[in-house]
Amino acid sequence: MRRAAGWLLVALVAARAAAGTPSEPPGDSLYRLSVPLVDQAGRAAALDLHRGRPTIVSLFYASCPNVCPLLVAAIQRIDAALADAERARTRVLLVSLDPQRDTPAALEQTAARLGVDRSRWTLARAAETDVRRLAAALGVQYRKLPDGEFNHSTVLALLDRDGRIVARSSVLGRLDEEFVERLRHEAR
Amino acid sequence: MSTYRPQESSRPAASGPAIPQQPRGGRGVSFARALLVVALGGALTACQSGGRPGSPGSDTGGSAKGDFGPPQGAPVRAVLTSPPQVPPPTGRTHPAKVIVELEVREVEKDISEGVKYTFWTFGGTVPGSFIRVRQGDTVEFHLKNHPSNKMPHNIDLHGVTGPGGGAASSFTAPGHESQFTFKALNEGIYVYHCATAPVGMHVGNGMYGLILVEPPRGRPPVDREYYLMQGDFYTVGKYRQRGHQPFDMQKAIDENPTYVLFNGAESALVGDNALKARVGETVRLFVGDGGPNLVSSFHVIGEIFDRVQWEGGTRYQENVQTTLIPAGGAAIVEFHLEVPGSYVIVDHSLFRAFNKGALAILKVEGPENKAVYSGKEVDSAYLGDKVASLASVEAARAAAAAGTLTKEQQIKAGETYFNGSCALCHQVTGEGLPNVFPPLAKSDFLMADHQRAIGIVLNGLSGPVTVNGAEFNSVMPPMSQLNDDEIANVLTFAMNSWGNEAGAVSAEEVAAVRAQTKRPEGAAR
Amino acid sequence: MLLAATSAAEPTYVPVEGGALRSVLPPAPQQQETRVAPFRLRRTAVTNRDFLAFVIRHPEWRRGTVAALFADGGYLRHWAGPLTLGAEADAEQPVTQVSWFAARAYCAEEERARLPTWSEWEYVAAASESARDARQDPAWRQRILDWYAVPGDRPLARVGGQPANFYGIQDLHGAIWEWVEDFNSLLVSADNREQGDPDRTRFCGSGALSMEQKENYAVLMRIALLSSLQAAYTTRNLGFRCARGDAEPGR
Repeated sequence: MRRAAGWLLVALVAARAAAGTPSEPPGDSLYRLSVPLVDQAGRAAALDLHRGRPTIVSLFYASCPNVCPLLVAAIQRIDAALADAERARTRVLLVSLDPQRDTPAALEQTAARLGVDRSRWTLARAAETDVRRLAAALGVQYRKLPDGEFNHSTVLALLDRDGRIVARSSVLGRLDEEFVERLRHEAR
Repeated sequence: MSTYRPQESSRPAASGPAIPQQPRGGRGVSFARALLVVALGGALTACQSGGRPGSPGSDTGGSAKGDFGPPQGAPVRAVLTSPPQVPPPTGRTHPAKVIVELEVREVEKDISEGVKYTFWTFGGTVPGSFIRVRQGDTVEFHLKNHPSNKMPHNIDLHGVTGPGGGAASSFTAPGHESQFTFKALNEGIYVYHCATAPVGMHVGNGMYGLILVEPPRGRPPVDREYYLMQGDFYTVGKYRQRGHQPFDMQKAIDENPTYVLFNGAESALVGDNALKARVGETVRLFVGDGGPNLVSSFHVIGEIFDRVQWEGGTRYQENVQTTLIPAGGAAIVEFHLEVPGSYVIVDHSLFRAFNKGALAILKVEGPENKAVYSGKEVDSAYLGDKVASLASVEAARAAAAAGTLTKEQQIKAGETYFNGSCALCHQVTGEGLPNVFPPLAKSDFLMADHQRAIGIVLNGLSGPVTVNGAEFNSVMPPMSQLNDDEIANVLTFAMNSWGNEAGAVSAEEVAAVRAQTKRPEGAAR
Repeated sequence: MLLAATSAAEPTYVPVEGGALRSVLPPAPQQQETRVAPFRLRRTAVTNRDFLAFVIRHPEWRRGTVAALFADGGYLRHWAGPLTLGAEADAEQPVTQVSWFAARAYCAEEERARLPTWSEWEYVAAASESARDARQDPAWRQRILDWYAVPGDRPLARVGGQPANFYGIQDLHGAIWEWVEDFNSLLVSADNREQGDPDRTRFCGSGALSMEQKENYAVLMRIALLSSLQAAYTTRNLGFRCARGDAEPGR
């Protein structure tokens, strides 16, 4: 019953999004931010493109040599820990810190290389000033270095269906059980 | 981290912390209750001997043996106390979840009489609130940074096992609150302090305190427990220079403190605020050194520490005269009291004690015990200016400000300073000591030249002088920490007492002499 | 009050020539200098009067209306009401209890401007009245430290209370903390004693920044404050001023 209601809500939200008049998200929702995105297929999208689904959000950049692969691996590890039905309801949004180099083609290449499920994962870029706002809202610190690399803190945020941050993780290299537990709860 | 507002008020300045505060020096009902609990706690532990002997083979096992399993029962809210009071023993025989709520407040207080300083504090006091838990407890720590504070702060508890001691987990912006949890695995007495950049400055402004992790069966009972911490302070102005004094970074880097204090103020533990006990009692002091720079040669004049748990560790040393307390370290000292009187607590690096304020008093009441000690007390010599009534001084200051200062007011105010600063050598009678300290009463030397008298108070005097026909050859230290008003008053008193008769010395005259005097770097001006 | 608030004079922006900055937070271990492009900076901080005019025009930024994502519970709490300054908020005092999001929105919407970057702020704040870079001047440092010793619950000074610095900009020190655009780029560890051993998995790239000029406490303390903040935070002593020019935010 609850599941049916959930699907109904999703359908409603999707319908509203399609009609261009989504209902206003809660005050503490990340979806209060207006951040236009372009995904790995070159399609324009909004930050709330996965509204209605629990979504893991993080910031990365495609050419990142060490930590970002770990970050992607951490999300894949979480993905793998979910039951099939839970996984099917979960979405992932990775926004690039490096819009200059991370073109849709570069993002597509990265997605292919990492072997992520592009029906559920979105790799996207946004304008530099919007990235700063998104990072600020997520509590991510970052800084561009003279050699083109980025310093950044690694934070996975779990958004509920309405975009509220309900869990955060900085755990790399092993499974963050608490985060997975909360995700299961959200994906019911 | 979440937004933090103090309870019950939207006005940050007027709101109080949610922590039970006891007035400094107040030992009313709550202290009596604390003693009662000490006594009850004692019943629980009465079968224990008086602490662990320092012999090998009695190892506590350290942190590896300090985890007694998950917390049991309902969570407990920790009782926090302001110095010099210590919370009652936990009285628990099982590990519990203990909630500690500590509020950081940046407050302006007197560091010395008439000298204001902005302290950064844990709980509104220097040192910060005393925290008492039991080994094996799970401590849920809430650090609140008051909305009217300017600075971000955090806390590193030396009793925490884990990188940073909680510092990174507790980094908190003004008007916000952080939470972290740790298990207290090692028993002992531990310093906590702020570790926000610049760490030395946060600590130098008073951000330190003690957390006691009781051993599983508690500590052996004693009659009194007190809490004091030494700290060094660096002000732009000289020692006792009045007004609001900002922090002096260069002096701090040079490790050249203006003040070295117990519990953050010259008056914290003297006069009415002195620690109190009775003959026949055993006193336990939890003594920490917050630094930021100096270590303490901790000593109680006229007492021998029966036991010292040096560095706050498990084992104790017996019969110790002076114990070294490292900066960022603590010790537990215990002694039994046989003789009444005022015991002076010092850092035995003595210029800190007598010229920078590192001095506290333990007042012991009870019957004399001439068999143990017959002598006369030196109480007044050390206490002097602290115990004297300052009412006349305040009256003179107000009158001077209003331009209505009379010679009689000057004499009354001057007497206070004389008894505090001068009478030790020149005697209350003004007679001095034959062949050692020259007389002021009917003194031809004093009365002959006002300018010279002012200069001597300001700059001191060494070398031979002839007073009333007798030669004296000793050293008088400069009293330049007294301001112009005070020197004018003390001289007016001396020149109109014990048969002396003269006019008044004015603050303007003192200022004129002071302006002509060059003083070495570091001396009070 | 509404009329007075909406008829405030046009704010003054002071041109600042660009140049090289030896920041206390160098861009990289092998590169000690940061280039600062020419820009213009507001002579004084944004006042309560200015900000009131903004919230009158923009209901979404009023206290009680603003989304929780953009401002915490302390937002404009010293004002008597959502559109009333009241006794605790003098019109000419710098506005405080504002979040980074709100400060940014003000600059963009109200003055077609942006927040200055940390480098820009540090660059102009290095000046005294007479010198472009006074950071080695002990008197300059002590004046800043003196402000830290003033308790935080004292009333804030009105803007423009201090003499103009070398560039003609006022109140950069001794008045309030100020938001900068890239406040979340100051990747200093929350426990600054860790600096010798940066945790490489916490920060991608070269780890936490090491602060140089460790004796320059006056500036380091600003970085400590900024790095303790989240974008929705508001505090009693934290306000902002706006900048104009081409400096790319985020550099």
